[in-house]
Amino acid sequence: MKRLFGVFVNGLIVENPLFVIMIGLCSAMAVTTTVANGIGMGVALTFVLVMSELIISLFRNLIPESIRMPIFLIVIAAFTTIMDLEMKAYFPALSKSMGVFIPLVVVNCIVMGRVEAFSSKQPVGDAVADGLGMGIGYTWVLLALAVVRELLGNGTLLGFQIMPSSFEPMIFFILPPGGFLVFALWMAASNDLRRKLLAGRKPAPTQDSCCTLPDNSSAEKA
Amino acid sequence: MKRWQMIKLGLILAMYTIVGCVGLAVVYNSTSKIIAQRQEADLQAGLHEVFPKATGFTPTDKVKSANPKVIFDAVYTANGPSGALGIAVKVQGASYGGLTTLIVGVSTDGTITGVKVLENKDTPGLGANAANPTYYVDKATRTTFAGQFAGKKLTDPFVVKKDVIAVTSATITSRSITNLVQIVGKAASDALGIGGSSQGPQAVLPSADTVRTSSKPATSSVPGVSILETLVGTKAGAIVGASAKAKATSYDGDVTVLVGVSTDGTILGVQILECTDSLGSSILVPEFAQQFVGKKVDAALKIGSGITAVTGATRSSNGATQLVKATADALVKALAGGGL
Repeated sequence: MKRLFGVFVNGLIVENPLFVIMIGLCSAMAVTTTVANGIGMGVALTFVLVMSELIISLFRNLIPESIRMPIFLIVIAAFTTIMDLEMKAYFPALSKSMGVFIPLVVVNCIVMGRVEAFSSKQPVGDAVADGLGMGIGYTWVLLALAVVRELLGNGTLLGFQIMPSSFEPMIFFILPPGGFLVFALWMAASNDLRRKLLAGRKPAPTQDSCCTLPDNSSAEKA
Repeated sequence: MKRWQMIKLGLILAMYTIVGCVGLAVVYNSTSKIIAQRQEADLQAGLHEVFPKATGFTPTDKVKSANPKVIFDAVYTANGPSGALGIAVKVQGASYGGLTTLIVGVSTDGTITGVKVLENKDTPGLGANAANPTYYVDKATRTTFAGQFAGKKLTDPFVVKKDVIAVTSATITSRSITNLVQIVGKAASDALGIGGSSQGPQAVLPSADTVRTSSKPATSSVPGVSILETLVGTKAGAIVGASAKAKATSYDGDVTVLVGVSTDGTILGVQILECTDSLGSSILVPEFAQQFVGKKVDAALKIGSGITAVTGATRSSNGATQLVKATADALVKALAGGGL
């Protein structure tokens, strides 16, 4: 149980998919102009990630090495489409405002990366814990980005006017450059915290070869 | 052995695909009805939003899109308590991030009754604000981007940043939607028979009192320019000028113009009738055509010298200018040749 919790927590800060592994950035930058979109995208990705990791981990011994990629894609694409249809049916407003980013979850590097590097080699429990951890790690970053960008760029939070009416929205934060700036500031804060967390701890033995950066020296390799 | 291996892998892949497809089919079956209901409800709500006083809507096929890139999904006549109120069109056309779908209502008195954005795939937080009911282009009056079209006259120029307020940082989205509204407005007003008197050959030959079809059509020597119709304007029996409707390919579509030329080689009037370029319909503004009036045909009629392009549609402006020049040249030649 403790081990599973460790796997789960790993995705939040220490191996955060956006801030440390740095994959899946394009959708993160694009949808975080509003908090509602950030939450929607985070939940959507978490769902697809957990389900895909679960299924792939279950069948990991039945997936031949040489055709694992197409099988991963089929599984991921199936769950993404299911999610897309469910959202269209039950959350039409959210589905409309997320536009093309939901279908693009299929090619989101986080899903492909975690499935390939983690769940295709790990037992089911670990895979689900990893999916949840990575998904929530992705979601909190989206939320952190979106809160700053929506508040400063539009003066609202979740569509409600927060800033006084004399506040002139800073469109810069809604635009991509503002997104990069906010992203970089959050990343600096998060990685500072990460360094403190890791200080004094011996680098854990790597669970996978591609996506773990136990200490800073291996970052150069990546 | 290798071949067996390949077949085995293929079968395994097929198994996964079949399971995936069955799963999707189940989910699709359970959600497709709800999705269709929602879309139908959206459509009905949209129709009632652009025609709040309508008692019902009857599908009609009176209104056709002349532009292959602009699709009229559904056209309805809005019925009021006493006769038709106007036409509502569900229209689909290109915008910044893909197709956008609108409902546009056109009233019988020649105004836009309302615009509702049903679907828009543009950047969330930027272009998508065109569809946001709480994004105000005019905060003082709480007017949304689509809301500003309500009550707008079809004779207005429909130019973003002039008579249409743009969504901040989303000029392309604003322009695309404005163009779509204008195209629907034009098509619907033609169908309603409220095109107005500013159209037609009389307008480009203001000095003539009668306009008749020429007995000898003008021809252009410029390749690609086809003259569709040649007319002669007379005043008290004497020929004062000629006009022609001509068509040529422009940037990625066609442009059609109506040009009137006097016997002394002066352009009397120009109308850009149609432009099917993507985003090219912004050259339909009267200000663009007006620039040609009074110019000598033998002058250098070019973008940059005497003619200013419409912002955002330079290539369409260029195409239209070349066509106006070619048509005017052909008319001068025809007038000089006599026998009209």
